[in-house]
Amino acid sequence: MSALISIARRRLGSWAFNGIAGAVLGFILLPLVFVTWLAFFRQAIPSFPPEGYSLKWFFAIGDNKKFVEGFLLSMQVAVAAMLIGLAIGVPGALCLARYRFWGREGLSSLLLLPLVVPGIVLGTSLYVFHVEAEIVTGLPVLGSVAAMVAGHILIVIPWCVRMVTASLAGFDRGIEEAAQSLGATPLTTFFRITLPVIRPGIVAAALFGFVVSFGNLEMSLFLVGPGRTTLPIAILQYLEWRIDPTIAAVSVLQILLIGAAMVATDRFVRISRVV
Amino acid sequence: MSASATAESLTSLAARESRGGRRSAAAALVGPATIFVTIGLLLPIIILFRYSLNKFVPGRFMVDALTVENYILFFTDPYFLAAFYRTLRVAAVVTVICIVLAFPLAYKLARMESRYKNLLIMLVVLPLFVGNAVRAAGWMTLFGNKGFLNVTLEWLGLISEPIRIMYTEWAVIIGITAVNLPYVVLTLQSVIEGIDRAVEEAAYSLGANPWTMARRVLWPLALPGFAAGAIFCFILTMNAYATPVLLGGPQFVMMGPLVYVQFAVKNNWPFGAAVSFVLMSATLILTAAANIMVQRRYRG
Repeated sequence: MSALISIARRRLGSWAFNGIAGAVLGFILLPLVFVTWLAFFRQAIPSFPPEGYSLKWFFAIGDNKKFVEGFLLSMQVAVAAMLIGLAIGVPGALCLARYRFWGREGLSSLLLLPLVVPGIVLGTSLYVFHVEAEIVTGLPVLGSVAAMVAGHILIVIPWCVRMVTASLAGFDRGIEEAAQSLGATPLTTFFRITLPVIRPGIVAAALFGFVVSFGNLEMSLFLVGPGRTTLPIAILQYLEWRIDPTIAAVSVLQILLIGAAMVATDRFVRISRVV
Repeated sequence: MSASATAESLTSLAARESRGGRRSAAAALVGPATIFVTIGLLLPIIILFRYSLNKFVPGRFMVDALTVENYILFFTDPYFLAAFYRTLRVAAVVTVICIVLAFPLAYKLARMESRYKNLLIMLVVLPLFVGNAVRAAGWMTLFGNKGFLNVTLEWLGLISEPIRIMYTEWAVIIGITAVNLPYVVLTLQSVIEGIDRAVEEAAYSLGANPWTMARRVLWPLALPGFAAGAIFCFILTMNAYATPVLLGGPQFVMMGPLVYVQFAVKNNWPFGAAVSFVLMSATLILTAAANIMVQRRYRG
């Protein structure tokens, strides 16, 4: 009898534990659920219960110049930062993963540093850097798209390092040595052996680099020139005035875009292994 | 010179050459990224520090100087001190809530062996990358006077007038807790995954109940990981920007928004740089402390 009670109690305890775990996951997702719900309201005021449902807010996004321009600038910057970031980040990651040399740990920390430095500090540092660069070179650096892309490259590089390192985990270097001992040149070895192994890492780095650049808010706040906004900044500035289904519809589009990029990333490098 | 000695010196020469070749290959690979981060991040941080020692003269903008008065101002002025303490208070409350709430989910994810595990982790991670402004929009839908929370409470008859949640400290605390939870959950999950399941089973087979096992076995083993997760959460709160701005309103000043206002609105670059530098120093010192703790326990 007492054994039965103890089993029952343990069962109850484990249900409670699972319940709390589920509730916490729900709490994390709650804001996304509500902003999605709001996007389909018929009335313009976010009052509950909704008077009805409509898709009109999604069609109205195109009429708002700030969101369209912000989206286009975010796209432009994210694609450019992702491509350049890959071009310099992936070789760097490869070197850190393959060679053992003095100062390797320090170098690895340096390349991951942009992830540790808070966005606000990154933004202010780059801002004063651009001021000085403008004084020294005489070029219009401050607030230019090029300077913004350079800032975003910084936050793409650490993800290249992480993704490529993750894709090389468990890779047997003996295969490369075998190729070379069979007469392959280092270049052939790279293209026929190494590249296919790290290809998923590169694709994942491209997608994730795009995601972190596209979604960046804090650093970009300091880097946008007058009259320019990225999509996250346009969302923030709109929300400082009001919340309505229009902004919710824009948010839903951002959730869908980033969600799709993440699901695609997961096909190449398991998300659970890199975050 | 004997033939074998020549052969030996030739091999060693070849080895040295190939080592040199590999070294230059490594340098060519990692060089561009290193140079980019050094010039694009380290140099700007140095300039930021230099700016923080300058003077701000109203009307004349920034004047070159070598003074620590910006730092002194930050740590003596009641308005800035209040923002500093508010930030620390919010960070402390959020950290405690996050650690308590994150543990059950982190434990479930760590000990899960189903094919849904990856899906669940993606659900935890998705909000992280969607951005804080979008998540704040969700909370604004819930917290408003006619928002879901007030309407539900009124419908249940628990309140007769809408309670004010927006633009309060609690709105900010709830918002930042939701923002930080994914980070803390993932940190704790990786720590718990690193603890052998066998030690838990050993405790059970020796007659411990789940509570005793958690307290006597899991907790001591996971403690450094919990500390690292807490530090991480604290740092994230100190640097929060979008959530305090949107859920706290213009009157609720925390460190992140303070830096932005000094830079972009007041044009006081030296003071903004000083506050930013305080934030960064605190962040880097706490991060290093967390890394040391985790390394000592789990990798050493």
